[in-house]
Amino acid sequence: MIVEIEIDGKLINANTGEMVIAVTDREGISVPRFCYHKKLSISASCRMCLVDVEGAPKPQPACSTPVAEGMKIHTQNEKAIASQKAVMEFLLINHPLDCPICDQGGECELQDVAIEYGSDVSRFSEGKRIVAPSDIGPLIQTDMTRCIHCTRCVRFGSEIAGIMEMGATGRGEELKIEPFLAEGITSELSGNMIDVCPVGALTSKPFRYELRSWQMSSVESIARHDLVGSNLYAQTYKGNVKRVVSGDNDAVNETWISDRDRFSYEGLTHENRLLSPQIKVEGQWKEVEWDVALDFAIKGLNNNILNSRNLAKLGGLASNTATIEELHLMQKLLREIGCENIDHRLNVKDLNNTIHLKSTIKLIELETIDQALVIGANLRLEQPMINHRLRKAQLSGANITTLNVKDFNFNYKVDSHITSPNEIANTLAGVLKALIDKTKQELPEYLSEVMPSEQSVAMANNLLEANNSVLILGEHLINNAQASSISNLTAEIAKLTNSSTLNLTATANSLGAQLVNFMPNSKGMNTNEMLDADMRAFILLDVYPEYDFHHSATALNALSSDDMFVISLNSFGSELISQYSDVMLPMAAMFETSGTHMNINGKAQSFRASVGAPGEAKPAWKILKVLADLLELPGFHYENSAQVMSEVAHQSTQTHEYDTSIDLSKQTAMLETIWMHSPYQSDVLLRHAKSLSASQIGHMNTASMNASTAQALSLNNKDTYLGVPVEIDSIMADQCVFVNSNQATNTGGLQ
Amino acid sequence: MFNGIKKIVNILTLSELRSGMKITAKELVNTKITVQYPEEKTPISPRFRGLHALRRYPNGEERCIACKLCEAVCPANAITIESEMREDGTRRTTQYDIDLFKCIFCGFCEESCPVDAIVETHIFEYAFESRDGSIMTKDRLLEVGDNNEQAISKARSEDSKYR
Repeated sequence: MIVEIEIDGKLINANTGEMVIAVTDREGISVPRFCYHKKLSISASCRMCLVDVEGAPKPQPACSTPVAEGMKIHTQNEKAIASQKAVMEFLLINHPLDCPICDQGGECELQDVAIEYGSDVSRFSEGKRIVAPSDIGPLIQTDMTRCIHCTRCVRFGSEIAGIMEMGATGRGEELKIEPFLAEGITSELSGNMIDVCPVGALTSKPFRYELRSWQMSSVESIARHDLVGSNLYAQTYKGNVKRVVSGDNDAVNETWISDRDRFSYEGLTHENRLLSPQIKVEGQWKEVEWDVALDFAIKGLNNNILNSRNLAKLGGLASNTATIEELHLMQKLLREIGCENIDHRLNVKDLNNTIHLKSTIKLIELETIDQALVIGANLRLEQPMINHRLRKAQLSGANITTLNVKDFNFNYKVDSHITSPNEIANTLAGVLKALIDKTKQELPEYLSEVMPSEQSVAMANNLLEANNSVLILGEHLINNAQASSISNLTAEIAKLTNSSTLNLTATANSLGAQLVNFMPNSKGMNTNEMLDADMRAFILLDVYPEYDFHHSATALNALSSDDMFVISLNSFGSELISQYSDVMLPMAAMFETSGTHMNINGKAQSFRASVGAPGEAKPAWKILKVLADLLELPGFHYENSAQVMSEVAHQSTQTHEYDTSIDLSKQTAMLETIWMHSPYQSDVLLRHAKSLSASQIGHMNTASMNASTAQALSLNNKDTYLGVPVEIDSIMADQCVFVNSNQATNTGGLQ
Repeated sequence: MFNGIKKIVNILTLSELRSGMKITAKELVNTKITVQYPEEKTPISPRFRGLHALRRYPNGEERCIACKLCEAVCPANAITIESEMREDGTRRTTQYDIDLFKCIFCGFCEESCPVDAIVETHIFEYAFESRDGSIMTKDRLLEVGDNNEQAISKARSEDSKYR
């Protein structure tokens, strides 16, 4: 219902139930505040937003006063200003005057408001409160003496991050905001506390004492570590990204970003950056000029492939973190010279048996679902922003069911079913059968032998009763022996229950790669076929075999074989890369190149380069364009990456045919190993970000299994499994090992 | 007519010459105000704005805390500061350069400094012999401060009652 109220003499329409501060914010009337935050609950603890409401004996806090018909509010009259000034005086009693050494100085809400409402001289001559500093981890620096007890960080922890790690202890003068536990703050969204803190009590630790806010310029950018594409600002100074803060986009990330998006920039200045083009002459690496390196690359391609028209022996592989432009130019270059061996799916064991479900739900709609089935995902760590949306749904009453190998720590209530990887397809088949029984449809043959278990029937009932349900397939299923069947069963269940689906296996920019058709057509070979075939040359775009491939030992063997010519475009160098490569071309990393990232909703978000690439490194789209020019290929006249993107936009996308059959007999009795890189190791930039690696999540390195699996493998919790320390977990599915590792799969990882 | 007569009288009585000679005679006995620079020097106000210096606390710790207010306020962009966290956890500069070619000696840096670290001394007789001599680095600024600490603190205490 709409009511009419009067603010400062201006008639304004507002919705009933809305708080006064929301109306003034919308109308551009400024009301000072500290504790109010539009995405957090209202605490009305700072009292800075006091306004005068006619008829009320005392000034009212605008953040917790709902509007009512005919209300007359004064935000700037004598009474309002006097009470705001009084509150300011109280807030400044204990706030130290250390603005010159405070990192918040220049962007501090308290500083800004004090200019307007503070007094020149303090009437408080007693001693100020001092709070002993505490170390809460490598990401956030605390200076709790500066705290004004607005409790935004506490509310952020309990409402958004879902773990109440910060809390208020003591009363009155003794009131302290501090972490409850000695480990400090471990949330995967903890960096947002820095953004919500209105003063310098919580600041960024890696950025400590480096710069003042006014020295940097903010460049809008997109996070490319996951499939959400969070909006953010890269703050740059003298050609370096110095800090990342979150951007606002309700359709994507609201106003939060995950820690890996916030702190990954640290990797940009790592000493391992590849800074100059290098060629290998008689086994010796030589730093050379760009033209020499490119000529060397072309000559190598000519010798090994082009002169003999041996194009089936050339392969192109790219990391799925590359931009759409880079992927498009690379596949265009390869297809122009007649090569079809193109792929971006590096970590899949069997590319004929994949998860290929379409995502049909918008991120924002995830908040309104009432039933979700999450299969094979540790959402909180793997997809923090999607987990956050689901958490909101759960808090407003949704029922979330999970099918996982391990009882992962969700920060909301889930109905957890521990299921071993080779049971997932059967469980889903049970759900499908129960659904078909209920809806009285014809039973397909493959379900005839399925006996739905009690839990499958319960899941089916839940899905049928729900109005708005979603089925989520996670990354743990990528290498499931029945991946394709799981994908198809899920699609069938979705059809019968009118559910939406979300496929989280298409990480980073995988959807962008599919858009530009960065996959082999029927004539070409996929990644695994290429690695098995006797190839003569490879072009690799930001590929790091020890982490990226499903079986890195096979990949390394294939790449290092004799007479192989490997052109590596990399942002970081490593010993392995120099072992197998013949020419290394330094490319720009995230934040250093313009491009486009496509998120899970198919939303293509373009961004410009925040900073230039270091040393001789160049944006990969430029390198690929020049390579194409040197090969005298037509159609590569681009002046900027936007032209590449407009070509992509005008192109018709090819649809891929996937196997839609469901075969439940295809089972492995063998032990299944699910290998996940720890969330702060999932791409090359993250692996080089110091502070993230030092955090608790960055330290995760365990191979979890239950006691009987350990016994079968004759391991105990002092041993290692594939080089990863064993952790015996009683709540785990049988016959499987879940590895969450922060180290390279140099040994091959999975057999 | 009247003006013409007055003029003639003035000429005949040498009155202008006499008034001129009167000043000359007076200045003959008055104290002289000319100083023999560089042997003699004029007095300097405590607020005089000469060469810059970075000061230290009596215990030898540098005052500057790298707040960069002087860098921000400098109208000529003459100041460049880089900062870091020193090993003991305090905020310090790693670089503090003032380009004297750019500096207009407005004194804003001194005015904005919350810890009285950057000051302008009474030194105005200096010259550079090389191109980079115009850049006062942190070490040079601290050296000026160390060598002139007494004069600097004296000037500041003289001026303090007017602030």
